[in-house]
Amino acid sequence: MKIEERLSLLNYKTDKSYEHITVNPNICEECPDHFCTFACPAKCYTIIEGKLNFKYEDCVECGTCAVACSHGSVSWTNTKGGHGVKYKYG
Amino acid sequence: MSEFDAIVVGGGPAGASAAIKLAQNNMNVLLVERGDPPGSKNVSGGVLWGTGLGELSDDWEKTAPLERYLESKSVAFLTEKSKINIDFSTKNFEEQKTGYTVLRAKLDPWLVKKAREAGAMVVTGVTVDRLSKKDGKVVGVIQDGDEITADAVILAEGANPRVAIDSGLREPLKDHDVAIGVKEVIKLPEKTINERFNLRGKAGYACEYVLGFLKDGVEAGGFLYTNKDSISIGAVISMKHLRQSNQVYSFDIMEEFASHPFIAPLLEEGRVDEYSAHLVQEGGLSSIPKLYGDGYMIAGDAAGFSFSNGLVLQGMNYAISSGISAAEALVEAKQKSDFSSASLSRYQQKLEESYVMKDMRTFKGIENVTWSKMIHKTFPSMLENVMMGLFKEEGKPKKHMMQLVLDSMSSSKIKSKDMLLQGYRMLRRM
Ligand SMILES: Cc1cc2nc3c(=O)[nH]c(=O)nc-3n(C[C@H](O)[C@H](O)[C@H](O)COP(=O)(O)OP(=O)(O)OC[C@H]3O[C@@H](n4cnc5c(N)ncnc54)[C@H](O)[C@@H]3O)c2cc1C
Ligand code: SF4
Ligand code: SF4
Repeated sequence: MKIEERLSLLNYKTDKSYEHITVNPNICEECPDHFCTFACPAKCYTIIEGKLNFKYEDCVECGTCAVACSHGSVSWTNTKGGHGVKYKYG
Repeated sequence: MSEFDAIVVGGGPAGASAAIKLAQNNMNVLLVERGDPPGSKNVSGGVLWGTGLGELSDDWEKTAPLERYLESKSVAFLTEKSKINIDFSTKNFEEQKTGYTVLRAKLDPWLVKKAREAGAMVVTGVTVDRLSKKDGKVVGVIQDGDEITADAVILAEGANPRVAIDSGLREPLKDHDVAIGVKEVIKLPEKTINERFNLRGKAGYACEYVLGFLKDGVEAGGFLYTNKDSISIGAVISMKHLRQSNQVYSFDIMEEFASHPFIAPLLEEGRVDEYSAHLVQEGGLSSIPKLYGDGYMIAGDAAGFSFSNGLVLQGMNYAISSGISAAEALVEAKQKSDFSSASLSRYQQKLEESYVMKDMRTFKGIENVTWSKMIHKTFPSMLENVMMGLFKEEGKPKKHMMQLVLDSMSSSKIKSKDMLLQGYRMLRRM
C-alpha cells in the first residue's frame, strides 16, 4: 500500500490557524542531505522542483523531523487545542 | 499557596499512572493531556509486559482493554528469502500474567478514566507550552499564556519531550537516543487470527524480527502482535543508519516488511485500517537525564525509560512503574511540605530500588548490540547458510554443523576469535 493511501486512512482535525512545525527555507536551500525527506514517515517533506516543500497537514506528530534535521531548520512544537492526528487504535 | 499539589503533563501510561496514585493518596492533582480523547496521539506496538496495571486498579483484569494475553512469543531473523525462527509457547505466560497486547487509543482512555475516578482533575485537548519557574524552582506550567501553579510538576510527555527539552531539563534528542517507529493495524476476523497463529480464546502471539533483508546498511527491527480481531505490525528503524544511507524512505520499510514472503501470508485478506508513526526511545541508560530537581520530576519515555534488546521492546511497563514512583515520592514530599530537589531525590532512590533503573543498568550498552551489523546482517546470513548446508541434498558427503558454521564464518570474513568476542559481548548485555 502506498504511503498516500495509508495517510488517507487517518483522521485529522487540522488547525488552519497554527502550523505547529515550520522550516527555515534559507537553511533548506543550502541543505546537503535533505534527510527529512527520507526520515519523515508521513512524507510531509518532499522536494518539488529542487526546493524543499513541507506540508504540516499530514503530520502525525511523531517527532522524527525534530531529530532528523541536523541543520537547525525545523522548529517543532506540539499541536494545540486537540488539533492534529487522531488515531483510533494507536 | 499553589492551586494544585501536583500537575502531571501527559496522560500516557506514565502520567496517568502518576495521577492515579496521587489521587488515591488524596493529593489535589491536575492531569493535562494534549490529545482529545486521551490516547489519540499515541502509538505502541504493543505488548504491555507484567502486571503494572494491577498496582493501579484492583479490577484491571476485568475492565482494562486487554486485547489478548501472550501465550506464544517468537524471535525471528528475516533474510530476503528465508526466515529463521525461535518459537516459545507456554501456558506459564497466562498463569504468571506475563504480557498482554494492547491498543493505545483504548488503553489510555481507560487509564485516564481511572485517574478521574480516583479524584484527579483531568483536562484533555490542552497542550502545556512550558514550565513556570520562580527563583530557579519549577512552580507550575504555562498554557496559552496562563500560569497554573502546583507544588510540583511531573513531566510525562513521552518520547519527544518538548517541555523538558525547551526548559533545558533534557538535552535535545540525538540519533543515538531514538528510533523511528512505524506501524499498521490490519483488520482480520478473530477466527482467522486464531487459525493462522494456532491460538484459542484470548491467547495471543507476539514476534520480534530482525529485518536482515534491508539494503544500504539500514537497520530495523520488526514486530507482529495479535489483537482480538486485528494484527499490529510495524518496524522500529535506527535513525543513525537511515541517515547514513540517506536513500531509503522510512515509510517504505513498513511496506517491505509487510510484503516479505514469510510475512505477507500472515496478513492475507486483511485490511489495513490504520497507519501510524512515533519516535521510540532507544538510547538506554546513556539517554537518561537528571530525573528530578526543585519542583519537578521526569517519568516514562520523557526520561528515556525504554529499550529493546531484539527479543522484546519495552516502555509502557517502565512508564507505569516510574509514574508510580514519582507519585510516591511526591506524596512523601507533601508530608514534609518540602518540594526541593533534595526531597524529590526520593524518586531516584525508588527507581534504583525498583526494576526500572536496575534494568537500565543491567542492559547498559544494549543499544550497541541491538543496532549492529553483526545482528542485522552477519548473523542472519550465517544462520541461513548453515541451515541450507544442513538440509540441502547435493549428492555430496555432508558436513558437520560445526564445519558449516566455520565455512559460513569464513565466507562472511569473520574470524572465530571475533565471533566469540561478539557473542560474549552480546550475551553479557542481553
Ligand atoms: C512503534 C512503537 C512500538 C512500541 N512497542 C512497545 C511494546 O510493544 N511494548 C512496550 O512496553 N512499549 C512499546 N513502545 C514504547 C511505548 O510506547 C512507550 O515507552 C510508552 O508509550 C511511554 O509512555 P509515556 O507515558 O512515557 O509516554 P506516551 O505514551 O508517549 O504519553 C505521553 C503523553 O503526553 C501527552 N503530551 C505530550 N506533550 C504534552 C504537553 N506538552 N501537554 C500535554 N500533553 C502532552 C501526549 O499526548 C501523550 O498522551 C513502542 C513504541 C512505539 C513508537
Ligand atoms: S528540514 Fe533540515 S534536513 Fe530537511 S531540507 Fe531543510 S535543512 Fe535539510
Ligand atoms: S513530526 Fe513526524 S510526521 Fe510530522 S513532519 Fe515531523 S517527521 Fe513528519
